[in-house]
Amino acid sequence: MRYEPMAWKDFLTQRKSVLATWPTGKDVDLEGGLRYQRDIPEAKNFARAMSGAKAKGRTLIQPRAGVALIDDHIRLLRFLETEGTADLLPTTIDAYTRQNRYEEAAVGIEKSTAAGHSLLNGFPAVNHGLGGCRRVTEAVTKPIQVRHGTPDARLLAEISLAGGFTSFEGGGISYNIPYAKKVELGDSLRAWRYIDRLVGWYEENGVSINREPFGPLTGTLLPPFIGHTVAILEGLLALEQGAKSITLGYGQGGNVLQDLAALSSLRELAGEYFEKAGFTDFDLTIVFHQWMGGFPEDEAKAFAVISLGSFVAAAAGVEKIIVKSPHEAAGIPTKEANAAGLKTTRQILSMLTDQIICGDNDIIRREKNLIREEVACLMNAVENASGGDPIQGIVRAFAGGLLDVPFAPSIFNRGRVLPARDNEGFIRLFAKGNLPLSDEIMAFHKERLAERAKAEGRAVTFQMVTDDIYAISKSKLIGRPK
Amino acid sequence: MNPQNIVLGVIGADCHSVGNKILDAYFSEAGFHVTNLGVMVSQEEFIDAAVETDAAAILVSSLYGHGEIDCEGLRAKCIERGLDRILLYVGGNLVVGKTPYEEVEKKFLDMGFNRVFRPQVDLAEVVKMLKADIAAASRP
Repeated sequence: MRYEPMAWKDFLTQRKSVLATWPTGKDVDLEGGLRYQRDIPEAKNFARAMSGAKAKGRTLIQPRAGVALIDDHIRLLRFLETEGTADLLPTTIDAYTRQNRYEEAAVGIEKSTAAGHSLLNGFPAVNHGLGGCRRVTEAVTKPIQVRHGTPDARLLAEISLAGGFTSFEGGGISYNIPYAKKVELGDSLRAWRYIDRLVGWYEENGVSINREPFGPLTGTLLPPFIGHTVAILEGLLALEQGAKSITLGYGQGGNVLQDLAALSSLRELAGEYFEKAGFTDFDLTIVFHQWMGGFPEDEAKAFAVISLGSFVAAAAGVEKIIVKSPHEAAGIPTKEANAAGLKTTRQILSMLTDQIICGDNDIIRREKNLIREEVACLMNAVENASGGDPIQGIVRAFAGGLLDVPFAPSIFNRGRVLPARDNEGFIRLFAKGNLPLSDEIMAFHKERLAERAKAEGRAVTFQMVTDDIYAISKSKLIGRPK
Repeated sequence: MNPQNIVLGVIGADCHSVGNKILDAYFSEAGFHVTNLGVMVSQEEFIDAAVETDAAAILVSSLYGHGEIDCEGLRAKCIERGLDRILLYVGGNLVVGKTPYEEVEKKFLDMGFNRVFRPQVDLAEVVKMLKADIAAASRP
C-alpha cells in the first residue's frame, strides 16, 4: 500500500467548511492554536508523558470523565488528579457531540444548568468552544486527552487541539464501526485523515500531539487479532499524515495469558508493520483497558475486576492503563467512585512495580504465534483489496467481511463473526464469517471450542455466547450452564 | 393490535449494540415477532415501526445515561399517532450516575412508561410480564 499525506491545500479548502458547521468554529485559527500549544509546559504534554513512561518502565493511570458544564468538569478533573492520583486526565465527550448533534448538546447544557447536575454523559467541547476548552486545560496540572467515539471529529479536533488538549483518541474504523449505525466507512476514514493531517501539522511545527486509536472496539469477547489489525491499520494511517506519538490499545479479555500474549504481540507487530511500510520516526506506546464488558453490580466484586486488569497491565509492562470504577454496572460514576477505581489500580501497580511477574512461557508463545498468523491473514487481505490505497483496502475489506467486528452496530460491518470462550477462558471463534483465516487456524479454534462443548455437555450455540457475555457480571469468566 | 408484534431499539444517540442483539434473539425465541430497529433510534422511528406493524409494545433500551432526555414525550407522541393502547417498556442505565432504582422507576412511570427495568433484570421475567400485560391490554 502507498502512504501519502493529504495535500495541504486540500486540507485548507476542507477546513473552511468544517469550521462553518457550528458557530464556535469561527474562533479557531491554526497559527493561534500553535502559539497556544507552544506555551504549554512540557510536563503537561501527553506525548512526552507517554514516552517518559516507556523510558522509565512505568504504567500511567487514566480515568474516563466528563460532565456537561465547564465548572463542574473542572472540579471533577481536579478531584481525579488530587484524590485519585491520576497521571493523565481525560475529557470524555457526550454522545450528542459524538454524532455532531450540537443542537441537542445545547439542550443538554441548558437542562443540566436547570437541574443542577449533568444530564449529559460527557463534556460537549464543541458547544463550549475554544475558550471553554482552554479554561479546562489550564485548570489542571496533568496532560489531558480528548476521549470520545466520533465518526467525524474534525471540528472537535480543531477546537480541542487549539484549546490545549495534547492527545486525541479515535480513528476512522474504531470510532465508526462500534460507534455509529449508518456512517459510510470511507467518510469516517477521510474525516480521520483530516484529523491526522492536523496532528501532523502540529508535529511539523514542533508540537507533539499523541494519537490513540481505540483498541477495544465493541469491548465484547473481541479476539485479539481483530482489534490488533484495526489498531495497526489506524496507526499506519496516522503515521501517513505525520503523527509520530502513537498509542495502540487493547481491552482486557479476561484470560490472563491471552491478555499478556495480546499486549506483547501488539507492540511487536505494530512496530514491524510500521517499519515495513517505511515509517521509522515514530514513538509507539501501548494502552491497556480494564474490562470493557458488563461489570458486577456489587462494588466489592467490581473492585476485583479492576484489580485483575491492573495486574495484567503491570505484568505486561504497558505505558498506560484506562481505569474503570465500582459504579460501572450502573453507568457513569460519581467522582468519588471514579477516584476509588484509580486508587485500587494505583495500589496494585505500586505493589508490582519492581517485580518480574510471568516472564515467558509456552502458552504465551503459542498464543503470540497464533495472533501473528491471524493478523497476517487479515493484513494481507486488506493489502490485496487495496489497489495501493489503504482507505480503499479497508472499505472493501469490511464490505466483503474480510474485516468484521463482532456485535458492532454499523450496517457497514458484516457482523457474521461470533466468538466464544474455550474451556480455559481463551476467546476463540466459532463462526468466522468471511474472515480470511487459514483452515489450520480455524481448526485450532474449533478444536478448542469442541473441548468446552464436551465438558459442558452442550453444543456451541448463540446461548453459549450470551452466557459468556454476561459471565463476568455474574462473577465468573466462562458462562457455564447452571 | 397484533399481540405477537413488538418493536425493539436503543433510543437517542446511544450506540450500545450488544444487549440489543441479545434481546432480539431472546424475544424472538420466546415467540414474539420482533421488529428490531437497532441502535440510535428516534422516537419517531419507534412510533412509525409500531404503526406499520400494528405492534402491541415498544421496548426501549438506553445504556448511556441520556435516557431521561431521549424518552420525554414518547407517550404523548404515541397518543397523537393513535397508539393509545400500546405498552411502553424501558430498561437499562437510564440516567447519569448511580441512582436508586425506585427513583428512576418513578421518573419513567411518570413519563408514561408501563414498566421500567434495571439492566440486571431476568429476561424470562420480562417475557412473562409482557405476555400478561399484552393479554390485559387486548381485552375490550
